[in-house]
Amino acid sequence: MTGPADPADGPRRRPAGRPGPLGRVSGIVLRAEGVALTALMAAVTGLILLNVVTRTAGMALFWVDEAAIYAMIWAVFIGASMQIRLGAAIAVDLVPPLLPAGARRALAVLVAVLVLEFACTLLWLSWIWYDPLGLARVGFDIAAFSGATFNFIYAEPTVTVGVPKFLVWLVVPLVAATMTLHAFANLTDVLAGRDGPRLPDLEAA
Amino acid sequence: ANDAFAEDFRLGLITPPNHIWTQNAEAFARAVEEATDGRHTVSVFPAQQLGNEAQMLQQMQTGALDMSFMTVAEVSNRAPEFGAFYAPFLVDDIEEAAEVLRSDEARSMLATLPQKVGVVGVGFGAAGLRQIVARDDIDSAGDLAGSKIRITPFQPIKDFYEALGTAPTPMPLSDVYDALANGQVDAIDMDLELIWQLGYTDHARTMLLSNHMMFPMLGLVSGRTWQALSEEDRAIISDLMAQAVDDCIRDYLEKEAQFLAEVEKSDIAIREVDAAFFRDAVDAWNAIWEPKAPNLAALRAIAAD
Amino acid sequence: MVGAAFGLLLLAGVPIALVLAGSALFYILWSGQTVLLQSYAQQLFSSIESYGLLAIPLFMLTGELMNEGGITGRLVGMASAFMGRVKGGLAYINLVVNMMVASIMGSATAQMAVMSRAMVPAMEKEGYDRPFAAATTAAGSLLSPIIPPSMLFVIYGVLAQISIGDMFIAGILPGLLLALSFLVVLALIGTVKDLPRGRAMDAAGRWAAVRAGVPTLIIPVVIVGGIIGGIATPTESAAVAALAAFLIGRVLYKEMTFARIPVVLLRAGFNASIVVFIVATAGVFGWVIIYEQVPQALAARLAGLTQDPFVFLLLVNLGLIVVGMVIDGIAALILLVPILLPIAVQQYGIDPFHFGVVVCLNLVLGLLTPPVGAGLFVMTAMTGVRPGALVKALAPFLLASFSVLMLLSWQGWIVTVLIR
Ligand code: NA
Ligand code: NA
Repeated sequence: MTGPADPADGPRRRPAGRPGPLGRVSGIVLRAEGVALTALMAAVTGLILLNVVTRTAGMALFWVDEAAIYAMIWAVFIGASMQIRLGAAIAVDLVPPLLPAGARRALAVLVAVLVLEFACTLLWLSWIWYDPLGLARVGFDIAAFSGATFNFIYAEPTVTVGVPKFLVWLVVPLVAATMTLHAFANLTDVLAGRDGPRLPDLEAA
Repeated sequence: ANDAFAEDFRLGLITPPNHIWTQNAEAFARAVEEATDGRHTVSVFPAQQLGNEAQMLQQMQTGALDMSFMTVAEVSNRAPEFGAFYAPFLVDDIEEAAEVLRSDEARSMLATLPQKVGVVGVGFGAAGLRQIVARDDIDSAGDLAGSKIRITPFQPIKDFYEALGTAPTPMPLSDVYDALANGQVDAIDMDLELIWQLGYTDHARTMLLSNHMMFPMLGLVSGRTWQALSEEDRAIISDLMAQAVDDCIRDYLEKEAQFLAEVEKSDIAIREVDAAFFRDAVDAWNAIWEPKAPNLAALRAIAAD
Repeated sequence: MVGAAFGLLLLAGVPIALVLAGSALFYILWSGQTVLLQSYAQQLFSSIESYGLLAIPLFMLTGELMNEGGITGRLVGMASAFMGRVKGGLAYINLVVNMMVASIMGSATAQMAVMSRAMVPAMEKEGYDRPFAAATTAAGSLLSPIIPPSMLFVIYGVLAQISIGDMFIAGILPGLLLALSFLVVLALIGTVKDLPRGRAMDAAGRWAAVRAGVPTLIIPVVIVGGIIGGIATPTESAAVAALAAFLIGRVLYKEMTFARIPVVLLRAGFNASIVVFIVATAGVFGWVIIYEQVPQALAARLAGLTQDPFVFLLLVNLGLIVVGMVIDGIAALILLVPILLPIAVQQYGIDPFHFGVVVCLNLVLGLLTPPVGAGLFVMTAMTGVRPGALVKALAPFLLASFSVLMLLSWQGWIVTVLIR
């Protein structure tokens, strides 16, 4: 298995090489994701504490639970995108150590391609889900769009936070896009024989 | 679609296997198989196996799910006129609820569903009337003010509890027992069947036997599935499903008293209350919803009959 | 077919989350139900739209803050002062602390997150090897959903429409039995392996260790008091515990600083995302195979095989172990109880409480069985122990748990005696 987030026991690795142009863009996105994840974790904690305080004071707020859940989901998806670039997603690595160096490298390329393929697929699935062209075709009229396509995404409400649900769901296409970018950067790294960044690099930044 | 067209339909619902809704859904599945000589079958997915109601509704819109027995609550989040059914004290008891739900006026409201929500409504069912179970002693509506009350998440009930000065808290059924036991909520809005069966009386001192709201259900078919059916199959399915959801109403007419008797066996204090107990909250609700729910006056007339 | 794709992707080293998500996609395309693609992205989102999951990031944050603020070290120092020179002393302390925490928390994975941060570094410092320390902690955390309160029992109670309060009581004896079996395992390991002894301390040293450690007890007091007093839910108590850990580390021990907060939040959030994203993808995977009625068909086949209730329970156990290898507890419960319970009760006359405890314990063990087990992932993420080494160190504990499971399947009265 690879990818414990604790630096103490991480696999030995080469120092990160100079990233290519794709790696640099991915690095900027990664740092932004780190900031967003930190802020969302603060929001989750803060909202839940707010819940305790307001309920104890007899002034309970009904939207807090739902908002906290959404903040957590955004954190999880953004973290998932970061995991791809930071090589931290948990995987079974029984086989690669048993292979000769050439085959191991070929397998690493294959895995990088599969991850890229998944990220692209998620991007495509988000596209058919949000169907922006279909929406544009009916002049952004949501009722007309729903009636014509049987796609009710823009009509879906949130339960208590008072915004349309499609805004909350936006994290899926967003992360599909960043994951695609990170997966590309990984692929160029694997092909060039470089190691990508790891969590401690990000914490130091 | 021709007559040789055969399909295994999927029907989803949120209730557990032994619940009245699930049992009638299974009876519906057997009836469809019989009526079509096994040409069509229906697989029932109870207990949220395919997701909660919002997810199931979305799956019906895409055509992934063919049918469901779904609370009108979920539908009313998208078609607000259905909020009319949740007028506080619209009906006095389950018999009046049955009259309202079986009326032509109620059925006429189903006409816009395909276009607005992407589903075809074949008829109404119901669960029991709503009661309030509270952790503390409740002597007046004022005792509830400022407290957190678990609700099924939809606008009409939220408006009622806000008008009452409480904080309505949406929560799935699986979290309710714990939440009531440890005080995450101070009270819950629930029907007698589940109050008894899920043991909510264990951690509560008071039940307000208020019958404050009915809790209707709809038999729904996905708009996409419907389009693919022959006229003959549409007739078979809508007749049998309308019968099955109506049988749910029949079962509650029979069993509501028995559920109450079971609750009475627990230690909980039962307080019978009426509209006057909730003071201005009922009027406040009416002020919000009368403009949004044009059928409300007609439904009231039927209940008053 | 899908099983083969699943296995190949897994062995190739594709991240487990993507194996689950990818297999679901593959299955959709293979079965021709392309209509599911429309809902796929949304399903990925909504499978983690759950209040209970909030406990995972919050307890991970508590663990990080306890370490940063110097709380963990002092906690263990204090426990060692009591244990003295007993062989394997800290391992026993680990189990006992886990039992106490289990009576507060209802989720094994959340408890693993807290306890691994608290216990594993401490045990390592005393000379235990890290996989053993992680395995002891993971095993101890299995008590969380068996000793009440328990998220699994609540969900089972709702599905089976039986009293959740009685279900909690039914879990007490099995939970104690499980704890006892772990103590026996530790004693046996102690006879073959040379487990570290606690440090000998003089009276002054003990007093110093206790004085340094006592303030840490504020955290469990805050958790228990908050829940019993109805001020905080178990999920909220995780956030309160994080706040308490921060304040103790900042005000009393002065090891925590405001400047460290962003790093602590980032690390906790990142580690939580590793676990919860797998839950999300497992949710989509479960949704697709339920839709195709795969588990339903398997369960139906299972029921046709025997007339004997005990043999039926053994078969159910066997089937659940296989299911638990790829699907996680709560999803598997929602999936299988509606199918298996009617068969168990009507066809074999098995008591629903008995059946529930057996099924829940089985699914809890599934958290630690490879290849997919949320518990394994949490422990890997929190301690950095490789899953292979972790599973090896866990083997005796898992063996003990399976013995308890067999005993409970065979002698149902152990479950029902307290409620009848
Ligand atoms: Na517990
Ligand atoms: Na497992």
